[in-house]
Amino acid sequence: MDIVSQNRTWLSSKPARLTRLQQDARIGLLFLSPWLIGFVLLKALPILAALIFSLTDFKMLSPGTTKFIGLENYAHFFRDSAAGAGLFGSLGYFLVTVPLEMVVALALAAIFTSERIKNKRISQTLIFMTSIIPSTSIFFIFQGSLAYADRLIFQPMDLPPIQGNGLLLPFMTLWSIGPGFLIMYSAMESISNEIYEAARVDGAGPLARFVLITLPMISPAIFFSLVINLTGAFGGAVLLDRGYVLGFSLSPMEGYINSVMFTQGNLGYASALAWVTFAVMMTITIYLFRSAKRWVYFPEEDDSNEI
Amino acid sequence: MRFNRKDSRKRNASLLTIRLWDFTGTAILNLFLLLFLVTYLSPIPFMVISSLTPRSQFFDAKAPILPSEHLTFNYEGEDLVVYKVPTNDGIKTWALYKPGRKSSQFIDPANPSAGPIEWIGQWRKLNAVYRFKPTLQNYKDFLAIADISRYFKNTIIVALASEIGVLLSSIAVAYGFSRFRIPRVKFIFFLLIATIMIPSNITLVPTYYLFSGHVLGWIGTWLPLIIPHFFGSAVLIFLLRQNFKSIPRELDEAAMLDGAGPLRILISIILPQSLPVVTTVALLHFFYIWNETRLSSLFLASAPNLQMISVAIQQSQSYFFTPEALMVGALVVMIVPVTVLFLSQRFFMRDMIVTQIEK
Repeated sequence: MDIVSQNRTWLSSKPARLTRLQQDARIGLLFLSPWLIGFVLLKALPILAALIFSLTDFKMLSPGTTKFIGLENYAHFFRDSAAGAGLFGSLGYFLVTVPLEMVVALALAAIFTSERIKNKRISQTLIFMTSIIPSTSIFFIFQGSLAYADRLIFQPMDLPPIQGNGLLLPFMTLWSIGPGFLIMYSAMESISNEIYEAARVDGAGPLARFVLITLPMISPAIFFSLVINLTGAFGGAVLLDRGYVLGFSLSPMEGYINSVMFTQGNLGYASALAWVTFAVMMTITIYLFRSAKRWVYFPEEDDSNEI
Repeated sequence: MRFNRKDSRKRNASLLTIRLWDFTGTAILNLFLLLFLVTYLSPIPFMVISSLTPRSQFFDAKAPILPSEHLTFNYEGEDLVVYKVPTNDGIKTWALYKPGRKSSQFIDPANPSAGPIEWIGQWRKLNAVYRFKPTLQNYKDFLAIADISRYFKNTIIVALASEIGVLLSSIAVAYGFSRFRIPRVKFIFFLLIATIMIPSNITLVPTYYLFSGHVLGWIGTWLPLIIPHFFGSAVLIFLLRQNFKSIPRELDEAAMLDGAGPLRILISIILPQSLPVVTTVALLHFFYIWNETRLSSLFLASAPNLQMISVAIQQSQSYFFTPEALMVGALVVMIVPVTVLFLSQRFFMRDMIVTQIEK
């Protein structure tokens, strides 16, 4: 409420340009404060601790014998072929799953924004539903339904049994499409009807409207999906959790870090691996943010896309 | 007159063509979606069927796919299993009376008074006759193992409490990032993105230490699962910021000239236009909390009565790691999210946003 009263003077009185900017900054910082306070109180120290762990030989089972070993963990990373395999595995995972996820999510969202679709609520619920099936069941559903398909379709037709392993990744990607679909769909639903009407009057067909209006207008959401899928592939934050147990991850690199951490109990080396992964992810992300200037559309073009 | 009539007939014809095309387009689009849904959801019937199947059927290789039980025939107070028996007169459905190694005795259910019939052959190679019979026993077993309703209540309380916090803070912070000229805002945003990229497992040990008796003493309570969300979620802030920044500032500026402060602008200009994205954020957070097990299993290990439903189901399934128990657990735990999802759909409607703005 303080903000409201403070703002009587925000625009109506005519302060000098500098003070108005200062005022703007102060109010802006006030809005940022929840996250800033949370970062200082809850995030900064654990992150700093993880950085320090990476310079030690911290073992979970014997924390008492921990000693400072400098950059030894990082040197070990370059001799560790499993870590390299994990890193490239994550990159491959990103390159395989992301185009599939994004194209299907975009197509579904585009279909659902059409007024021609009947029973939208049920269909959308059904599409999202698969993304919240708990982890314990999901692999069994995959195996079990393959076995059913085998018995019902493949055996009667004398076809060889299905090789399921190659299908697991596309299956898991498509059955986790809920968040991506919802983000694209909500971005499309936020576009005001007037723009579409104007384009329709100008004679733009459905395809032209999609390419020239929808895609640029939802490019911030596409950008967000890209960044968040990248972190998912390497082991950062995810949008939805299926309730995987502590050591498990679909991301190859995070899986390796988890095994170093929970199976070997080597928190020092696991931290170093996490920081290397972080550096790789951050490099790609900074590159993405740089490229965003060219293809992510915001009404006010300023330099705020850079980081 | 004649000219006019011809003209109007022509117009009618073209109107008909447009309608026909319109109808065809609608039909094709809906048909395509239906085909996609049928393929996409084809494993779901498997879940439902498995959950209705008696456990013993999973160990019977000859059992049919649908939940079934052996067809039996009551003979002299005993339930005899009915088999398909090949005889010289074709295949008979007989009930096995006295199994033997080389030959067995059967009863003909159509004519039980005729007494046992001797049949030469190995009865183990015969196919039993099944009849369709779904069972709710798996659900009863599942609900009996633990106080499921309590875990549901716990999860709903934690999800709703943290939902309030995460929505208030994330919206405020995203607004701050998208509308104000703040010095070093790029660096702050860089920090925000960086926190998304750090694997959470790596900060788990220090975070646990922070919440433990050494510092805060929150272990064994819901506080570590609720309070951090009141400082906003970096992922959701990023998502909201992307949306807020794509809203043109014309309406803001008009409201500003009318004397509206930043909070007023957020509530009456930005939020109504962002209703679909705010709904998405609220749903994503709710589902995240609903399914999350890592943190809750860690922080509530010492307080089993406060545990979340996802962890409770995972623990129960570690006793019965069998197909039907897994499917029942998955289906039961999904009831609440699916209902929430279905009810929330109306917030995505575009016409709703427009009316909000016009207010």
